[in-house]
This record gives sequence, structure tokens and C-alpha cells, in this order.
Amino acid sequence: MKKFWALFFWFWPLVALYLCVIAPGRNWWFPSKPLSTLGHQIDGLFYLILIIVTVTFVGTEFALGYALWKGATKNPSSRAWFSHGSHKLEIVWTIVPAFVLVFISLTQLDVLADIRVLSRFPDSVKEAPVAEVMARQFEWRIRYPKPGTDLMTSPQPGDLYYVNEVHVPAAVPTMINLRTQDVQHAFFVPRLRVKQDAVPGLVIPVWFEIEEAGDYELLCAELCGWGHYKMKARIVAESPEGVSAYLTRLEREQNEDGVQEAETASVE
Amino acid sequence: MRLGLAIMLHTAVLKRAGIAAFLAIVVTGCSDNNASFSISEKTRSLIPEAQAGIAESPGVVALLDQKFGTPQTLKAWMKLPVQWGGAAAKVEVFAADGGEAKVKFTAEEGQTFPEKAGFVNVVTGAGAGKTFSVSSWDAATGEAVLTGLDGGSLAAGDICSIDGGSTIQSGRVLYMRHCSHCHGTAGDGNGPTAQYLYPRPRDYRHGVFKFTSTNDMSKVSRDDLLRVLRYGIPGTYMPSFLLMKDDELTAIVEYVRFLSMRGEFERKLVNELASDFSEDAVESRLKDEQRSDIVGELAKFLAEDLPGVVDGIGAELEETWVAADTEDARIIPSVPRVPDSDESRRRGRELYLSKTLNCADCHGIDGAGNGPQTMIYEKNPVTSVPYNEPGLHDVWDNLNQPRNLHTGIFRGGRRPIDLFCRIHAGIKGSRMPSFKNTPHEDIWHIVNYVLSIPFESEPGATGVAAAPAAAPDAAAAPAAGE
Repeated sequence: MKKFWALFFWFWPLVALYLCVIAPGRNWWFPSKPLSTLGHQIDGLFYLILIIVTVTFVGTEFALGYALWKGATKNPSSRAWFSHGSHKLEIVWTIVPAFVLVFISLTQLDVLADIRVLSRFPDSVKEAPVAEVMARQFEWRIRYPKPGTDLMTSPQPGDLYYVNEVHVPAAVPTMINLRTQDVQHAFFVPRLRVKQDAVPGLVIPVWFEIEEAGDYELLCAELCGWGHYKMKARIVAESPEGVSAYLTRLEREQNEDGVQEAETASVE
Repeated sequence: MRLGLAIMLHTAVLKRAGIAAFLAIVVTGCSDNNASFSISEKTRSLIPEAQAGIAESPGVVALLDQKFGTPQTLKAWMKLPVQWGGAAAKVEVFAADGGEAKVKFTAEEGQTFPEKAGFVNVVTGAGAGKTFSVSSWDAATGEAVLTGLDGGSLAAGDICSIDGGSTIQSGRVLYMRHCSHCHGTAGDGNGPTAQYLYPRPRDYRHGVFKFTSTNDMSKVSRDDLLRVLRYGIPGTYMPSFLLMKDDELTAIVEYVRFLSMRGEFERKLVNELASDFSEDAVESRLKDEQRSDIVGELAKFLAEDLPGVVDGIGAELEETWVAADTEDARIIPSVPRVPDSDESRRRGRELYLSKTLNCADCHGIDGAGNGPQTMIYEKNPVTSVPYNEPGLHDVWDNLNQPRNLHTGIFRGGRRPIDLFCRIHAGIKGSRMPSFKNTPHEDIWHIVNYVLSIPFESEPGATGVAAAPAAAPDAAAAPAAGE
């Protein structure tokens, strides 16, 4: 029976090892493969940590099983080794994890800088946000600059407005300005691996390069009030020509005076 | 020792009872599962006999139940212009085979078959009142396989309803999930989260909606409601439901219209009875009448006059709600928008300040929403009791101060046509009046001015128009600030 427990604790790390090895291929950890350039880097960091954690877990569990096995096969009359308070051990298991953590923190600095530090943003987007995404209880209000002009921090005449749908170009770096009108929200696009808090009073630039055209779900990832669950929007990634056609359409709709529209309706 | 054992047994029993209670709550929930449509305060002010009815004659509450049902068992008052869903159809061929039957339906005039069908209700014929389930359905040909016949049968010529009420039922489910927590089960604008909101969520029961593209005397159109659902109302808590599917949104619109008609029906019915049969009225009548006489009079009224009143209200609801969706109700400017220009804005400002339109009386000279009218003490138009706070009030009795035009937030939409409609028809239910007699060109000048206010260098910076002789051609003047 004593040996059973040793085998029992050796069995589980094998299961864990198997699951961790096959997980990346089966995409168990993420809603899809990463669909933005930054997403690949973020997934890379995740899998690096997964390897470290797997090695640690498997190693510790094997050590536990080994201790149990030794205990089970030991001569019952031999004396136990009393290890509590051992300086050597304490130092080893403090320094080793410390090195691991420092290694992780240094490795991720580059990725973090690519995501957050404006000077590291691609040159093409630094000065040219395509839209302002204003989070609000409980929806996303979008403001585009009038076609042919730059986005200003404060609303300008001719700006175009929409709600819960953002059109951005695919396959090129894109930047939006994230703001909130009331409380904290978070701009979360799971398939792009983009997640950024919107903080009252701040204009936060967020950039991404979407690799494939298509619709992406935008969610609020900061519990922002009773209607938090309603804060779902759509990011539409399409060709730059598609985006400008969309903006032209939006501009026409926003300037509707009800006369033109009625005339076309009566012709049909 | 024995005592200790007794206590242990006792706690074991308690623990088991606690677990059972916990499981029961988890499974069934702890609130009442039977949702009900709330009864308005005005209805509750009637004497009990007028609410419940006397003998065979139903009262207000009983009539509401007859015509509209409860949230669990909705009833379709076919007179009302609501798209209930499903289609009425006539049986053409019926061939039973054991528990199954192959049936071919033809749609009744003006009806189109639903894409999917789950059940068939028999309306006329020997099996009237029965329900069969549909195992396969072809909307193109009208051929269906029915199951669960259970001895029932159809004959050629019977009228059935296929998936009857499916739209209103899915509207109800969606409404209860997404809307009722603010707008309330009955659409009374008093759901559990309503008390935390400013402005308060709309109470549909007046049948009045603020932001419409219809004339000042018309009701809201389906398109208007759909627009509000899609784009929300900025500046309020009404969020956008843009990502919902079109058929889901139209189902919600139908359910909201259903609730509005229910509320209107209730109000109108109570108004017929309130002057003679409210608790207050009866109390004052008791000075020189006997209660039994009053109840007798009520019984006579309920039995003889009320059916006619109900028909009249039904006809009025039908007429007004149908009219709202017609082209006649829609506001179409007679001239296209006057191109935005300094001159047009100045003309708009002039009209804004003019004696005839007097926008500044409420919105203030600089458009900050602080005109003299915001200081007056109004009386409730129904009860004649002065409100507690100064300012303008809407028909829902909420303080509803004129909009500050500098914020750049346009609740009813920011398209020029939206602003045109706000001025032309007013904002229904609020103190913003209709300016339908103003020349359309002048309304466009005001629209241009109002759209420019958020970008003024300082409040009131727009000057009034120059003397007519010196006025340049409006179209040729350069657009300022762009």
C-alpha cells in the first residue's frame, strides 16, 4: 500500500506532462490561433511560462513520489533525516525560483514595450490613430476623423460617429485611441490577444496589426457595472479601400437630410 | 451525555434540512416564477368592483387579462396591429398514417408562411383548439408532417395557425432578458435597475416615444424603435443593441409595441371609469348616494356601455398605430438641407432668438439649457399639484430640463434629418413643442446653427444675420470651422 502512493504521485505528473505537450498543437489555451502580430509574441511568452511551470510541476511531483518510494522501501528501524531549518535547502529553493522569475521578467520586457511604449510603435501608426474608441456604460462609441483629416482629441466638425462597430484596415499596423466617458473599462479582443484598460481622464493609444480580414469580437474585460455583460462590439478588419468606402458611406448616412432618401425610395 | 447526543442528532437533521433547502433554491430560484404585468396606480385607485368586474361583466383588470394575458400566457387581440408571428393557413390535403399525418396548407390571404414551424393550432373545424407538433415543414410548398395527433384529425378547409404568436413570444423572451430589468415586465419603466438611472427609463404605457421621424400627432414608427434599439440613446443609459440579429430586433419592437398598446388600453379604460368610480369619487358621492346604488350603476355601465368603449379603444389603437407606419406620418422636408454656412448659422441664430420661435426661452440665450422657463414652478397638468422642484416636466412627471446644446450629444441622433424632426415634431411627451408651421428652410437654418453650437469659440459667439441688403449668398459663403 505504501508503494501505491508513491506510484500514484508519479502517475499524475506523467498525465500533466502529456497534456502540456499536446496542448499547444490542439489550441486548448486560446480561443483561436493568434491573429495579430503581437499575438504571436504574447502566445510565445505564454508557452515559455507553460514550459517552465510544467518542468517545475513534474519535477516537484517526481521528487514527492521519490520521497514516498524511499520511505516505503526503507528499513523500518532506520532513523529519519530531520531537514527542517536546513540553511542550504532554504537558500537553494529561494534562489532557484528567484532566478526563474527574473528570467521571465527580463524576457517579457521586449514584448511589453512593443505593446505599451509609444516610441516602439511602428512608425506608420505613431501619429495616426484611425479612430477614437470611447467606452461608456454600456457600449462602445466610435469617432472617426472626417475623411482626409487627422483625428483630434476633442470632437471636430465633420467627425463621423458610430456605435459598437469599428472598421479598421487588415494586414497593416493600426492604432486607435482608447478613452472612457465614465468608469474603468477594458478593450479586450481575445483573438488578437489585445487587452488594455480604459482609464478615466487618459487617452491611451492601442495598436495592433490584424493578419486576416474578418469580424472580431470586442468585449469589456473590466467589471464596469450592472450592464458589463452588454458591452460587446465588433471589429471589422477589411482592406484599406474597404475602410475608406465604409467611411464614405458613413459620411453620407450622417449627413442625411431625409429628402434624398425619400426621393430614391419613391423611385424604387 | 444523552443531551449531547440529542444536540448532535438535531444538528445533523438541521444540516440535512439546510442542504435540502439550498438545493431547492438552486434548482428553482428564490423569486416568484410567475411574472405578472403590473397594474397601474390609476387602476388601483378604482373601487374593487370596477377593477375586478361584477358578476358576468369584467372590470379593468379582468379585461386586461382577457385581451393581453400574462407574461407566461400572452394573448393576441387580433384587432391590434402587432405582427404576432406565424401564419393562418387553410388545410388543403390531409392524409393520416398512424400517429403521423401529411398535410398540405395554403396560406390565407395576406399571410406568408414562417421559415420554421414547430406547432400547428387548429382554429376552425372538428379539432378546433387542438395543437399538433410539426416534425417537418417546407415553407415553399406549405407541406408539413404533423405528429402527436392523438386521435385528432383535420379536414380539408379547416383553418389553422402555423407557429402562431412565434414573433411575439420570442420578443417576450428577448425583452425579459435584455430590457425588462430597466423597463419593467409591463413596460412601466420601473424594473429593478430603473431606480439607479438618470434619466429614468421610458415608461411605454402612455404610448408616447420621444425620438420619432413621424409628425407631431403621430405615434412612433417601427423604424424609429428599431433605430433606437440599434444605435442606443447617447447621453442616457439606453445602450446600443447593434449586434443582435435583425429578426431578434424586430421581435423586440413588436413586443414593445404590444406592451405600449396594453398600457394605453389600460389608461384609456381607467379614464372612462375614474371620474365616477374611483375610491375618491365614490367617497364624495356617498354624501348623497347609497353605495349599493353606485355599484348598481357600475354594474349597468360594465354590462351595457363598456363593451362599446373597449371596441372604441381597440379601433383607436389600431388606427393610430397603423397610421404611424405609413408614408403620410413621416416627416419629409419640402426642401433639401440648406448648405451649412456662416450666413445660414447666423440666420438660424436669429430665428433661435426670435419672438415667434423663442428657443432661448427654454434653451437659454447661449444655448446652455438655462432659459427662464427652467426657473418656473410648474403644476402637474393632470392633478394640478405644483411640482416640488422648479423646471420643466415631461408627461412621465420627471424633471426634464431643456437640453444644453453645447455638449455635442444628440440623443435622438445627429443626422440633419434627426434634428429637423426634433424641431418639426417636437419631442413627444416633453415640453419641446412642435414647430411644424415654421418654413422648412428656416428649420434647416436652425439645424445648421444647432449643429455648430458645440464648436463655437465661446458660448453665443455666433452673431445674428447682417442686414438683408448686405447679406451674401448663403450657398456661396464659406463654411466656418471646417
